[in-house]
Amino acid sequence: MIEAPRMISLGEWDARHADLAADGLKEAWYGGPISRHVDQGDTRLIKLRFDNSVAALGLWNFLLTEEERLLRAREEGYKLVGAMKDLGTVPVLAYSASRLRAFYPDGAWWIPCVMELNAGLLGIADSLGIDDSFCPVRAMLGAFVTEAHFPIPDLLTCSVGATCDDFSVIAQRLNGLGYPIHWWEIPARRRPDSGEAAVRLPGGFEAPREQVAMVRAELERLRPLFEDLSGERLDETACAAGIREANKVRRILRELRQLAYAAEPCPMPALELLIAEMLAIHFCSDRDESARVLAGLLNEVRRRVDRRLGVLPEGAARVFWVNPVADLHAMNLLEECGGRICGTDYLFCHAYDEIPEGMESMEALARMALADPMIGPAADRADRICRDIELFGAEAMIISRIPGASHCATEGVLISEAVRSRLDIPVIEVEVPPLIDPVEATVRTRMEALVEMVRERRKS
Amino acid sequence: MITAGIDAGSRAIKIVLLDSGSGRILAAGIRDQGVEQDRRAAELLDELLEEQGVDRDGVSAVVATGYGRNIISLADRTVTEITCHARGVGHVMKDVGTIIEIGGQDSKVVRLSETGAVRDFQMNDRCAAGTGRFLEVAAGIFDVDLQTMGEMATRSDKPAAISSMCVVFAETEIVGLLASGQPPEGIAAGVQASIATRVASMAGRIVNDPVVFTGGVALIPGMDLALGKAMGRSVSRVPKPQLTGALGAALIAAGR
Repeated sequence: MIEAPRMISLGEWDARHADLAADGLKEAWYGGPISRHVDQGDTRLIKLRFDNSVAALGLWNFLLTEEERLLRAREEGYKLVGAMKDLGTVPVLAYSASRLRAFYPDGAWWIPCVMELNAGLLGIADSLGIDDSFCPVRAMLGAFVTEAHFPIPDLLTCSVGATCDDFSVIAQRLNGLGYPIHWWEIPARRRPDSGEAAVRLPGGFEAPREQVAMVRAELERLRPLFEDLSGERLDETACAAGIREANKVRRILRELRQLAYAAEPCPMPALELLIAEMLAIHFCSDRDESARVLAGLLNEVRRRVDRRLGVLPEGAARVFWVNPVADLHAMNLLEECGGRICGTDYLFCHAYDEIPEGMESMEALARMALADPMIGPAADRADRICRDIELFGAEAMIISRIPGASHCATEGVLISEAVRSRLDIPVIEVEVPPLIDPVEATVRTRMEALVEMVRERRKS
Repeated sequence: MITAGIDAGSRAIKIVLLDSGSGRILAAGIRDQGVEQDRRAAELLDELLEEQGVDRDGVSAVVATGYGRNIISLADRTVTEITCHARGVGHVMKDVGTIIEIGGQDSKVVRLSETGAVRDFQMNDRCAAGTGRFLEVAAGIFDVDLQTMGEMATRSDKPAAISSMCVVFAETEIVGLLASGQPPEGIAAGVQASIATRVASMAGRIVNDPVVFTGGVALIPGMDLALGKAMGRSVSRVPKPQLTGALGAALIAAGR
């Protein structure tokens, strides 16, 4: 049963799901009404508004059943790899072994939001000395302690070096609690010196050849760990196949973004697109199913774009969004204020670029890892943001700060200055805590004012 | 026709009635905000209309702005105070570069384009230390009203250093300064300087002249001078600064 695209509440989804089920809706094993996740503690869902498509239903259920999926995988004999502080590199390598399932323990940073602080994870982190001066990803420590949100992985990896300072502290604390971590180092990407051997990276950046070689050696160090864990040989054939499969997901996401962010009217809400983008980095614990779920969403967006159907009125202010939000409700809020998303940089836009094929796999992964926006100069990140703003025709930018996140403190200023001076579009910064409710009025005022500025500019 | 602008701020409700044809202000009123903001706004509007000898049917459009704009049920639409202050200031002063608005609960720096439209803005994030609330807390310690505390501040040429980053801690610091024998005038000036420094810091490097000061806090003696000193430039006060948000709302309601 196809309905006109619109955003609906959880209660409306219940009624729609019952109608769809009566009409013979076929769902994956993880399907069902979204509201059942509220019974498991995901109370924030009550406040959210959702896209009403079957594809979005599948996306939400896929996201909210990750723990079950990991438990099932373990029961079926898969080994679990926790790939921490990794925005799309180690999972590609891990999934090259057929008996490994990689996931992203850092994803626990959304639990305080989704469970509205009721899981007590931040309190546990506090008790371990990792207080609110650190990024909400510290919730991950609580998830390890309670073992209530994901099974303890068989192997843990974590990148360290030029990545997030907060996360290094959190991961070191985790290591100290008796969860041994296999660290791999990634250097701060620098621009090659004049005459220095350089390598072209995905996303249009360059890095010195010696940095790529260093990262490649680090990844080579991880490979035998995965071979030992899976009992499989991760030779070039296996790794190249892993890259090809990861690229399938990336290609779907790339097309999804290009269609959804450029189309008028807006064919898919910001929240569903945020979740879809997140699948690029960790596949929500199942790479192949991830590709299927995203393909379903892409087909829905194609259908809507072909018919000029939207979930928001035409003319919504076109906003580019920088950094992921700790509270999912912030994305709904933008739309309530008259905006829509036209382009994003959620800190992992390199994960939409295809991993180079036609070269040795470890070389390709090293180049991909070095294209990570978090490890390069903020000016590089600003460059890419400016390019994407022009590509998607965004009229304004929102930089959402993550409370306590060390990289947000200065990067936001640099990015906003670059965008203002090069593109002359309005920019606001908002801080989004795990629950936005106490500051919702002030965040709403900023967003509404941004939309008003866009409308005023359109008049001139 | 008459249009109405209602600025439902965190401390007071302000209403301006405008002749939409001429842009002339017909009436204006201010009332302390209580928990029943919607009812108080309606009462104030009715009083102003009665003075003009018209009823609500004589009002063609109502725009609400301010912190409580979304609970003003008689508004036809809402517009943020950022846009409304820009419009209101632009009506009474020409060629303004930057607006500083300090209200009871937040403070804003609004940069304008050559046409008077909002170019960008900054708002204080999550702390009352750069807002009128800090002045209220300090006035409470001195047991004087805000006007009197402002006058006290203007009598001092030696502002006390108030270093606390939070109003609650600053309250303790002020009590400590009083206990140590610091003159109250210097402490009052120190409170103003502290707020001004925060606002100047929020404004950052990009401030276009001329800079004007609006919002309820602009009425307090000494605050404009403290801001000017902190920003290293001249800051002038908008006429009837409490009303610029409501005036802007009324102008927008009139399509002006």
